[in-house]
Amino acid sequence: MTTTSANESRITVAGNEVQMFSGGSGPPLLYLHGAGGNWGWQAYHEELAKSHTVYAPSQAGFNGTPRPGWVSTITDMAHFNKQLARELGLTRYALAGHSMGGWIAAEMAAMSPESLTGLVLINAVGIRPNNSDITEIFMVSSETRAGYRFYDPSQVPDLEKHTRELSPEETIVDFSNREMSSRLLWRPYMHNPNLPQYLAGVDTPALVVWGREDAIVPLECGELFQQALKDSRLQVIDRCGHSPQLEKPQEFHRIVSEFLNSLG
Amino acid sequence: MTEIFWFSEQPYGHVSDEDLEKYESGRMHFPNSHFDPLKANVLYNNYHDQYAWADEVGFDGIMSNEHHSSYWCMKPSVNVDGAVIAKVTKRAKIALLGNVIALSDPVKMAEELAMLDCISGGRLISGFVRGTAVETLHAGISPTENRGRFEEAHDLILKCWTTPGPFRWEGEFFHHRMVNPWVVPIQKPHPPIWFPGTGSPESVIWAAKRQYPYMNLGALLDLTIQLKQIYFETAVESGYEPGPEHFGYLMRILVADTDEEAQEIGREFLWTETHRQRGPIEFNDPPGYQSREALAIKMSRPTIGTGTVGRRLSYQELQDAYNMIIGSPETVIKKLRHVKKELDPGYILVYGNEGAMPHQAVMRSIELLGTKVIPALKDD
Repeated sequence: MTTTSANESRITVAGNEVQMFSGGSGPPLLYLHGAGGNWGWQAYHEELAKSHTVYAPSQAGFNGTPRPGWVSTITDMAHFNKQLARELGLTRYALAGHSMGGWIAAEMAAMSPESLTGLVLINAVGIRPNNSDITEIFMVSSETRAGYRFYDPSQVPDLEKHTRELSPEETIVDFSNREMSSRLLWRPYMHNPNLPQYLAGVDTPALVVWGREDAIVPLECGELFQQALKDSRLQVIDRCGHSPQLEKPQEFHRIVSEFLNSLG
Repeated sequence: MTEIFWFSEQPYGHVSDEDLEKYESGRMHFPNSHFDPLKANVLYNNYHDQYAWADEVGFDGIMSNEHHSSYWCMKPSVNVDGAVIAKVTKRAKIALLGNVIALSDPVKMAEELAMLDCISGGRLISGFVRGTAVETLHAGISPTENRGRFEEAHDLILKCWTTPGPFRWEGEFFHHRMVNPWVVPIQKPHPPIWFPGTGSPESVIWAAKRQYPYMNLGALLDLTIQLKQIYFETAVESGYEPGPEHFGYLMRILVADTDEEAQEIGREFLWTETHRQRGPIEFNDPPGYQSREALAIKMSRPTIGTGTVGRRLSYQELQDAYNMIIGSPETVIKKLRHVKKELDPGYILVYGNEGAMPHQAVMRSIELLGTKVIPALKDD
């Protein structure tokens, strides 16, 4: 997807260089990527940028960026991102996160709900399901892992862009993304046992959006997020896997835009 | 003087290629329903008889190790095996190569090793290893933490052995506000520490900087010579003169009365060649476990030892590369003399059985090594 409104820049947060993609105009929206890393300004960023000023940073240690030595948990990462928001001058903003980014966003919301106009969690990890497990993605082959990505790859626009063979440089970036994900998500596996209790104090309007057939994070996790957040609703996208922003972009944007625009 | 150590992985030899081929990997995925504890009982006792016999016929030491979720090594605790060795042998050194110290409580580790040193009358050599990545995965610990935990555990174990308690330890990974182990080692200031590895240059440098003898496990002679060179250069940079006593080499060795018989029995060393490390790279070298430089060196190696991702060599090629030495006493003496001339190792570690090798054949190999090969090498 060609980019029309994005800028790539570097900002300094807590003494660390952070890679930042930003674009659009309107109320600010901070978008946090998942454990697979930040592959630059994407079509879904562009779509959100039609109504918002979108900030899409590479999380510390991802995309080949330096890892602050103290960031070894998602809670650490949430603190880091709060400092990042402050560095951007964001005092009231909308916050969205996919998968691991959703967990970071949820922890940030628990730390200072008053900073947020709204919270969007997309197939987020962070809460352990009661009736099944979050799927193992580290101790499996890359082929197995790739198989979990989409419900129906044939319906993914620009599929080739997301599944093509990586260049040697991109392979190193991918390796470092997985190294960083291992550091952050290994134990407890992709959840914080106390997160539901943290979220009890959050009254920010929240949208939990979920691809129903997510092969990694079961829909039950979306239900648990919805139950934990006072002012929230769960919207499920059928025939869709872990990344609705890629697999069902139109439906995703309809749901997310409607929510963001309702925040005023 | 080269010291000769006996070593057995203690394989569970009742596993075939057909059993394994259905599974994505030979370790984490291969179900333990294939394990029969009663068969293990027989095997363990055979292996213990081999230890006692090696001690009796003149080996300088017994080496042991530890692996988890592995059919080819039935030792999830090297310290338990160390206790057995201490009781079934009388004079051999006990080289535990080694404990995966990143994965255990370092204070309890220091206590157990001190206990073994006391039980054995000061015969303990304490090896510390990072382990294959599977050890870390099996312990439920992030591979990105292994190196940091290893370094900190090492420092805490040493402190337990050398600093009178009680003392306080608040590190990154381990937290003890009151450390005071009652049992401390006989050997002062502490038992010798060896560092076994499988070809990672950063590990060789780590050992050399601390003057810990490096034991190269499962490699080719030419690569081992390169690693020894790295060790020796690091030693000189660190300000001491290294010698043979700082370097050891593990080889698969089988001796029988004739070359033909030995070649027939020794073929069993290929038991795990096709499946020992089979599995996704996410098991053997997950991101964050080791440096990329180490991975490049491993690519040049045969698929033996631990953590290897290399090309496969034939039975004959492995023998030509001095990875395996198989034959009559005369043949084996000749080949080991070549290794001594080229590498001059202070320690030769004899990886002496594999798979379903008959117990009696292994006992005979131990006997020939002890009565013929070792005396010949000592006379050189």
